[in-house]
Amino acid sequence: MSNGAMGQTSGIVTRRYKHGSIVYFENDKSEYIYILKGGRVILTSLKVDTGEEVKEEIKPGEFFGVKSSLGKYPREETAQTIGETVLLVLTLADFERLVLQNVNVVRKMLRIFSNQLRRIGKSQREVLGESESINPAEELFKIGEYYYKVGRVQQAQYAYKRYMEYYPDGKYSGPSMQRIRAIESGSTGGGDDFPPVGPAAPPSPPVRGDENVDFTDFSIDDEKPAAAAPSRSPLDDFGVDAASSSPLASEMDDFFSEGKSVDFDGDPFNGGDMNGKGGKGVAENFYAAMSKFSQEDYAGALALYSRILEVHNLKNDSEAKIFEKAHFEIGRCYLKLGKFTEALTAFSNMIKKFPSSENVKNALFHMGVVYESVKKADKAAAYYNRVIPMEPRDSINKLAAKRLKAIENG
Amino acid sequence: MFLDSQLFDKFGVEYSPNDIIFCEYEPGNEFYFIQNGRVKIVKIINNTEKTLDILEVGDVFGEMAILEEQPRSASAIAMDHVKLLRFRRENFDALLQGNPQLAYKLLIIFSKRIYDAKRRLMILLLEEPQIKVMDVMCMLSEQDPHLDLQEAITLRVTMQEVANWAGMQIVDVQKILSHLNQLGKIELFNDRIVVKNIRDFQRMVSSRRKNMFS
Repeated sequence: MSNGAMGQTSGIVTRRYKHGSIVYFENDKSEYIYILKGGRVILTSLKVDTGEEVKEEIKPGEFFGVKSSLGKYPREETAQTIGETVLLVLTLADFERLVLQNVNVVRKMLRIFSNQLRRIGKSQREVLGESESINPAEELFKIGEYYYKVGRVQQAQYAYKRYMEYYPDGKYSGPSMQRIRAIESGSTGGGDDFPPVGPAAPPSPPVRGDENVDFTDFSIDDEKPAAAAPSRSPLDDFGVDAASSSPLASEMDDFFSEGKSVDFDGDPFNGGDMNGKGGKGVAENFYAAMSKFSQEDYAGALALYSRILEVHNLKNDSEAKIFEKAHFEIGRCYLKLGKFTEALTAFSNMIKKFPSSENVKNALFHMGVVYESVKKADKAAAYYNRVIPMEPRDSINKLAAKRLKAIENG
Repeated sequence: MFLDSQLFDKFGVEYSPNDIIFCEYEPGNEFYFIQNGRVKIVKIINNTEKTLDILEVGDVFGEMAILEEQPRSASAIAMDHVKLLRFRRENFDALLQGNPQLAYKLLIIFSKRIYDAKRRLMILLLEEPQIKVMDVMCMLSEQDPHLDLQEAITLRVTMQEVANWAGMQIVDVQKILSHLNQLGKIELFNDRIVVKNIRDFQRMVSSRRKNMFS
């Protein structure tokens, strides 16, 4: 790795690297911080939300390895040199000394860190489905309302007063003043709603029916696609599957069976949560299917998922959820098996049956993949286009955008 | 945080228990260091107040306000009689010049926050609820470098906290935890969870994560 002379100047070590040397690997633990003195260094990391590889070049004079050293956590990227490269290697103590002499460096780093933190925060909110287009004024008033209703008037008072301070002419200034006066006159909260407060979240866009699924136009006989081999679908190239081949899959299997029934309602007195049909519980079948899928036994997974669909007396919400998810997973199994017509039918059935399911977007996305598998690029594009604007934005939206771009670029 | 005591004369503020220090969605241009007492960071989610964090002496909060004015993403409420140092964005530069050690502390705090935030994002991105719950336990185990991961480990965490980390409803978390409890994978207590084999969880989570994008 680091082959080269070490030079000692003013406590800080200078180290020379040959072309292609690894300064450190992702997940290494080390407290060293580096400054690029000459040559080039490339940092390679994976984006946590998309798995994309990101390369960043360090400019001469810049630091790297700072965050993981300061935070005492493993390196998040791999640092590699290009050409003959010279680095200054600092210990935390060196770095601290340097920083204390040059506050501007810190200010610059804080700015970078703060932006990173904000970006991660934004991704978190996206994943959690928290809307970006909120109106802070209205939300501030709602916070007051929350505390007022639960009788925590002191905290309600704070929110109303802040509202009045920042938005004296705002939509809720009247109601806020009323609340403030009520609290001052000894109200203990819990009052009625003010009608003008808007809906908490916009209703999710209605899912169109499957009018776009044109089965007459969908024949896999007229153009036998090369993708018909069961283990090869475009999905393999960009991986939407939570599970695929893994030596750990069997471990998963063991984990979720252990000779006991899988009952996510966790009633210890209920014993096995059997549905009386074939003796196996819905949850148990689901996890067994998941495990089969992860071992690439798609036919086996399909059989187990199909068994779930035959259950008519679902016991509780968690079974209902599994029931719904099984509809989706059946489509994925067919897709993996190269049975594209069946896959399409399964996804479109799922959407029809559960139009408000959180899996609708994923199903639409997979329908795009099916069309892509049978070389119907325009149809695939239409599905990806539908997926891209759908809330909540998550990795599926990004994958759809990526696939669409790939189609458009031929 | 051991800052000059003169700083308190200039920037010190005090709060009584249950006082709101700042409120979710109000504009923020100040950040705080805790000198004394505890501060609860809360957020109203689905009409329930959720505690995101409890901060103690030496902790900093509201630090996102350092660079630009943005609505607060959570509320800060005093739990005890609290003494704080309050800094405004406008005099942040002057503050740094006069207190480079503060600048250094802030760098460390930000580094840790970024890592924690990224780690949480990794949990949230997992698809299956039970894997998310397992990963919360993995994350907690990573936070304590003294744990021997070959043995059963004790995590000081409540169900509610697990739910917060995983971005899930507590009822769903409860089902998963009771199930793991029944399987003998964990032992559930009111204030802690004993994980029998955290390596097992780590393997499953990382296999799932690898397959998410591969």
